Formats: sequence, structure tokens, C-alpha cells
Amino acid sequence: MKEGFRQSMAWLHTWSGLLVGWVLFLVFAAGTAAYFRDEITLWMKPELHALPHAPVAQAQAAERAVQFLQQRGADSPRWFISMPTGREPLVGVLWTKPAPPAGAAPAGERPRRARFENASLDPATGDTAHAPRATRGGDFFYRLHFDLHYMPAIWARWIVGFSAMFMLVAIVSGIVTHKRIFKDFFTFRGKKGQRSWLDAHNVTAVLALPYHLMITYTGLITLMFLYMPWGPQAAYKDRGGEQAFFAEVFPGGGRDRFQAAGEKAPLAPIAPMLAQASAHWGGAAAGRITVHHPNDANAVVAITRAEGPRLSYDQPSMQFNGATGALIATYGDVPQAAAETRGVLYGLHVGRFANPLLRALFFLSGLAGCVMVATGLLLWAVKERQKYAKVLRKGGRIGFGLRLVDGLNLGAVAGLPAAMAAFFWANRLLPVGLAERAAAEIRWFFIVWGALAVLALLRPTLRMWQAQLGLGALLFMLLPVLNAFTTTHSHLGATLRHGPGAVAGLDLVAIALGLGLASAVWFVERKRRKTLALKHAAKAPAPRTPGEPEALSQGLATSGHQP
Amino acid sequence: MNTPTFFTLAFTASLSGFCALGLAMDRHFEDVFGRGREPGRWRRWLQLAGTVLLCVSLAASLRAAGSSIGWVLWFGVLTAAALIVVAFLSYAPRRTPWLGLVSALAALGGLPFTFVS
Amino acid sequence: MTSTPIRYRLAVASRAVAAIAGGYAVAALSAAALALALPAWTGMARSEAVLTGTLASFAVFAGAVMWVFAARTALRAWAGLALSAAVLALPVLLLGGGGA
Repeated sequence: MKEGFRQSMAWLHTWSGLLVGWVLFLVFAAGTAAYFRDEITLWMKPELHALPHAPVAQAQAAERAVQFLQQRGADSPRWFISMPTGREPLVGVLWTKPAPPAGAAPAGERPRRARFENASLDPATGDTAHAPRATRGGDFFYRLHFDLHYMPAIWARWIVGFSAMFMLVAIVSGIVTHKRIFKDFFTFRGKKGQRSWLDAHNVTAVLALPYHLMITYTGLITLMFLYMPWGPQAAYKDRGGEQAFFAEVFPGGGRDRFQAAGEKAPLAPIAPMLAQASAHWGGAAAGRITVHHPNDANAVVAITRAEGPRLSYDQPSMQFNGATGALIATYGDVPQAAAETRGVLYGLHVGRFANPLLRALFFLSGLAGCVMVATGLLLWAVKERQKYAKVLRKGGRIGFGLRLVDGLNLGAVAGLPAAMAAFFWANRLLPVGLAERAAAEIRWFFIVWGALAVLALLRPTLRMWQAQLGLGALLFMLLPVLNAFTTTHSHLGATLRHGPGAVAGLDLVAIALGLGLASAVWFVERKRRKTLALKHAAKAPAPRTPGEPEALSQGLATSGHQP
Repeated sequence: MNTPTFFTLAFTASLSGFCALGLAMDRHFEDVFGRGREPGRWRRWLQLAGTVLLCVSLAASLRAAGSSIGWVLWFGVLTAAALIVVAFLSYAPRRTPWLGLVSALAALGGLPFTFVS
Repeated sequence: MTSTPIRYRLAVASRAVAAIAGGYAVAALSAAALALALPAWTGMARSEAVLTGTLASFAVFAGAVMWVFAARTALRAWAGLALSAAVLALPVLLLGGGGA
């Protein structure tokens, strides 16, 4: 580190990127998929594909939901109702179960936390819509990219946050170290070995640089109170602690503020409250309705505005007395500067403001991010391999570190796409009535990924790259075929004509991804043949000129992997 | 003039803008027009045209999606357009001027509408 | 691979610890310092100051990490962090703990 600033930043860039690169690839891949989380969920619930989607008045949808909840969750302390949107046509309802009275649990057993149940309702009729198969849908990818899986959420968020911080450092040090960032802006030189990997890494990094900076920084912001609680703690030490801070910034929230009175009172009709809220917001629709202590004298109905074309994730809300229907308070109409900034940063990350076109552009930038991480990892392996050129020529082997990186690269970059495709295959192939079906689909994702990762670590060869990329290509390209065979009227021919557009879109994107992976297989094939040709030439009788062995080893070194 | 048209304008303007900026560089001018050729006095004009076209793209994005989301849209459009230009310069360099011209014409055709109505 | 000298490895390890732990400490202090200082010096609302400090802390963290690896020696890296921490600790000590 006695070198110049740029060189030390280059060192920092390499290591901050490499050490967490595989986690980052997962985060980018799952996060990019999560842009279409609602669409993926719909694809994975074929029972809902034929539903007519005539828009239903909000008041009617809300009243149907309340009727349903009065039947199923009359004694629940809290109801949550999500209004249908363009991307999610059903009403989502969730109700918590009342906690068992203290002492009800047998001695020695911890009292169980209040559980909850949920359902999706047809907005027009209030029926549980056609009982779609149990699946996490797109929410699996969404959760995967920050809660990972098979571990407590807190651990996962720290791991992902740690990796995100490393990523932020990698981006900034990468910018500093990239001397010719403007000159090389459009530069991509193919078929030149290490040079090409570097160009690919640079192009995908620089051309989507605003996105990468934004998504990394805003990702940290979404969990900033977990990672950096010191501001609230220091400033509110003798003023009520962190809770007081959250009450100030997110007024109207906080479960504990709402206490049941104990005396029954029928819940007031919800339609007038919706109308008043909408009028207050200049005609904007409601997004979420939360009813605290329904059918109690102290019931409170909180209505939050729907996500609209506004960058900020925070939406204003209004609270009404549940028994009388009178307005209690409005919140969030005029956010303060720093709070609005945070809302905008959060909103930028989640991207729910984006219309389909903008969402497609986000998806494209996310894919660029995946390629950036992947090419970075592969570039490191290619460069490291060059140090073994002499050893390899003499028939020796590469070191443990490089072999481990080779295996991890393969398992991540080739294995993960195949596992994601397998998740979709599991959705169509697993029996609909299977117990714990949603968890089973997810288990298949990990079974496939685990198997591929183990194979990758055992034999990180070019052939293994082809096998895993090829598997992913096949699974993705055949997904629309699988769809056609396992559903009655959701095949591409039908969905292209009458929709749902989301299902057609996913089928088409699957084909495109499959083609991309297939071209990667072809690309590896070319490299494999070149490497073999060079190897045979090296084994040929003594070369004519003394310079030839050097040229051959250069070729071997830049080929990237042994066959 | 409605949103999809503004979006198309934003896209074609940034596509032609990046073509111009790319061709203004020695390396890419050579790729397209042959070794040893230099942009020479065209360089300044290409850079100017490229910058102006990117600004037109920004204006169109802001008209398409509003004053805050419009910026987000612009960056997304820039990324997509730049990736396409890189693909052309790498795999079909001699078609890049055509790409630039066609998209510039499309952009200029829609330009007056950005500032009117 | 040729074995790298132990001194180099220790220096790298030292910088890594400085960057991760020390950088985090400086970032945390900056969040707390801004949260306390901004209301006292500019009259900004307390919740606003907390948000501002916390939002900025990740940039401070990134900057501290870059400093650690750009500094000419590991010792300088630590010294820079210690100095920043000391400066940031002042508002926290003076303004924190109830009071203003």
C-alpha cells in the first residue's frame, strides 16, 4: 500500500468486491427478479389467470373485505386490508389472532406470539378467489435478497448489509481507480481474453453507474435504523429513547398506542371514511386500511394513501374513530425535508413508483449489475490464473484459493440461474394439494442450487460451466412449454392475445434469459476448443522458434479455465 | 404529444447523442471509418451535437414522467441507449453512423413538440 | 504462490480491522454527532437531525474505509481514524446525555 492513491484504491476495489462477490450476485439476481414480484406471483398462481379484471370501486372492495373479516376474524385485535392495484388485482386481507391470556400456556413453555392468517379476495364478490395454489411467488425472491433463507432475518440483514457496505466501497474505489472512465466509455473489445472480461466489467459498471450507486446506497438506507441506531439513541437518550424518535418520524404508527376499551361497539361503515380520505388527498386512492381493535369502542381505522407516481415511499395517512367514523388525525401531508429525503431514497430502492416501462429499465440496469458482479469475479480468476501459467505448463496444478474461487464462481454465476428456473418448474410440477407447498417449492430451489454448487466445487471445469449454464438455458427456454402443458389456458398463445400480460411477459423473459444462457454455453464452447487446440499445439514436436512457447502460454493463460 | 411519444423522443435523442459522442473519440472514429482517420474538425461538432441531444433526452424525460421521476427515467434511458451504442461499436461499427442518423432524425422530428403544448 | 512476508499480511490485517471496525465507529459517531449538534447549532428539529446524520453516516463510512487504504502507512490510517473519532466525540460528549 505504499503505491499511489489510484493503486491502493485498485487493491481495495479488488478485495472489497471479491470477498462478498458471491453474496452480491445473489442479492442482485434476486433483487432484479423482485422488480416483477407481483407478476411472478401471478404467473405462479395459474388458478387466477382467467379472472376478469374489471376495476371495482374501492368502497365496494373494502366493504367486501370488512364483511369477510367480520366472519373470520371478528375477535382479532388487528385487521390489515390491501387494496387491489393494477399489478395485484385481488384484495389482500390479514388478521392477527388474539394472544392467549397469560397463564394459558403450560408451565415451562414460552407463551406463543399472536399468530395471523391471511387470504386473497375477489374485490367484487369478497370470496376467497378460486383458492390458488399455495406459493410464495415473487415474494420469495424479494425476501431472499435481504432476508436470505434458512436463517434468522437479523443475521441475514447484517450479512447483506455488510456486503452492501463492501459493495459501496467497491463502487467508489472502482470509480477512483478507473483512469480512463470517459475514454473507455464505449469500449468493448471481444475475443481478447482478460481484456474482454475487463471491458465487460467496465461497460456494465459505468453505463449503469448512477443505478449501481443509487441501489447500493438506498439499500443500506432501507435498513439504516438497524445498521446505525446511534443517531436516535444519542439524541433521544432521555426523551423516550428510540420509540419516541419513531413516533415523531412515523406519526400515527405504533401498535401500542391503540388500546382496546373492552366494550363492544359495531364498526362504522368504511365507505364514508374512504371517501373523506380520498377527497383530502385530491382524489387519490387508498392503498392500505388497518383496523385496530375492530368492534371495540376504541377501534381506530387507519387509511394510507396508495402508492402513486411519487418517488417517496412514505404515504400520508388518516385515522378515524372506528365506532363513530369521525376523523381523528391526518399524518404525513407535509413531510419535513430529511424525512422526505429518506422516503425518496427508500422509494428509489423499492421502485414501486415505476410504470412498466421504467420498471423494465430498472430490470435492465439490475441485469447489468448481475453481469458486473459476475464479470468482476471471473476477471479476478482469470488474472489469478495467469500467475500459474508456468506451473500449469509444467503440468502442475493451481493453488487452493484459485480453485475455491473457480468453484464458487461456477456455483453462483451458472448455478443460481438454473436454481431460479427450477423454482418455476417446481411451481408447476408439485401437486397442488401438497402440504407446506410454498416451503416445498423453495426447498427445490435450494436443493437444485446446493447440488449444482457442490458439483461446481468438485469439478470447476469448462465442461461443468457448460453443463450448468446449459441446464439453466434449457429450464428457462422450456418454461413456456411447461406452462402450456400444465395449465389449461395460460399458454403463450392465449396470454399474448387476452392476457394476463404479466404471464405472457414472464414467458417471454424466460425465453430471452434462456437464449442468453445458451449463448453463454456457446461462448464457453469456443473457449474450450481454443484451449484444446493450444494444448495440442504445445504437445506437438519442438517448436521452430524459441518465442512460440511464450505465445502459447499466453493463450492458455487468457483462456480463463482449464477444460 | 403524449407520454409514449415523449419517451420515444427521449430514447432516440440519447441514442443519437451517444452515437455522436462515441464517434467523436479517435478510437471509435477509427473503428468506423478506418485506421488513421481522425475526427479532426468534426470532433467539436460531434461533441456539441451529442451533448445537445442528451439534453433533449433529459427534457423529453422530464415531460414524459414529471420533474422528479423524469430524472430517474432519463438515467434509465441513458443506460439502455449507451449499451446499444456499445453493442454497435463492437459488433457492427460501420452501421453506427446510420444508427446515429436515423435516431437523430426521429428525435429532431419530435423535438418541436417537447417545448410546445 | 510465493509466500508474502508476514509484515505485509499484518499491515493488511491491521488496515482491514481499522477500516471495518474503526470506520464503523467513526460513522456511528458522525451519526450521533450530527443528531446532537444540528439542533443545537442550527435549530433543526431533533428528528430531522437524526435522519440527516444517519443518512450521511454511510457516506462517512465509505470515506473512512477509503482513507484507511489510501493512507501511506497503517499507523497513519489508525491515527486519522482516531483523530476523526476524537473530533466527532466532542459534540456527543458535550451535548449528549439529556441536557441541551
